[in-house]
Amino acid sequence: MSDRKARLTITVDSHLSAYAEHLVESGHASSVSAAFNEAMAEKAYRDRRRRSLWKAKSEQADPGRVARMMAHIDQQLAR
Amino acid sequence: MSTPSRTPVILDTSVLTAVARGDADIIALVQEYDARGQPIVIPALALAGASLDTRSEEGDDLLAGLELLEVVTVAPLSGAEQAARLAHLVARTGLDPWDAHAAAIADVAICPILTLNAAKWQRPSADLDDPLHIIEIADPGDQKPGK
Repeated sequence: MSDRKARLTITVDSHLSAYAEHLVESGHASSVSAAFNEAMAEKAYRDRRRRSLWKAKSEQADPGRVARMMAHIDQQLAR
Repeated sequence: MSTPSRTPVILDTSVLTAVARGDADIIALVQEYDARGQPIVIPALALAGASLDTRSEEGDDLLAGLELLEVVTVAPLSGAEQAARLAHLVARTGLDPWDAHAAAIADVAICPILTLNAAKWQRPSADLDDPLHIIEIADPGDQKPGK
């Protein structure tokens, strides 16, 4: 995680704002900003993991078969 | 390479289930469409149907990975009118709600539906005023002579 921070103004659902405040009050986050920063970091991690999973799966594909399927689809779309 | 169609295509539950099961060829095919810039619409209920069929964390991650592709738009079921339209389609065609959502979008947007099982769409399509444009994903090389 970077120590450099960017300032931004965001609008969030009221129940999520309340939950972030609760995390701060209960000592589970140092600030509301930290709570949202952590949530976004987790999303970035999940998205990276999902992209990696897609890449790993597609590398197992049979390129010839994929090309034949795409050509078959193109033929049907052109009708 | 042929010129890609810019008309969006809709993925049905059979295709999404193949993605959720980690079918490498189908995943690569969808990625190739992403690279081509071919718009893809994914009905939210079809995603639910695929998730229900697969029931695995990796399956849900693969389905969620679809949303990360630039060409993909997940179509929600929104509001009472769309819900009623969906119920009408289910009653009229006998489709399950997952694929009925795909049919509802295709019927309104006049987009083709990509499927791994064209046969399941034949009767529902015939039950509609305007037949659906069904495109089967298949490898012609799998159809051996004499079969």
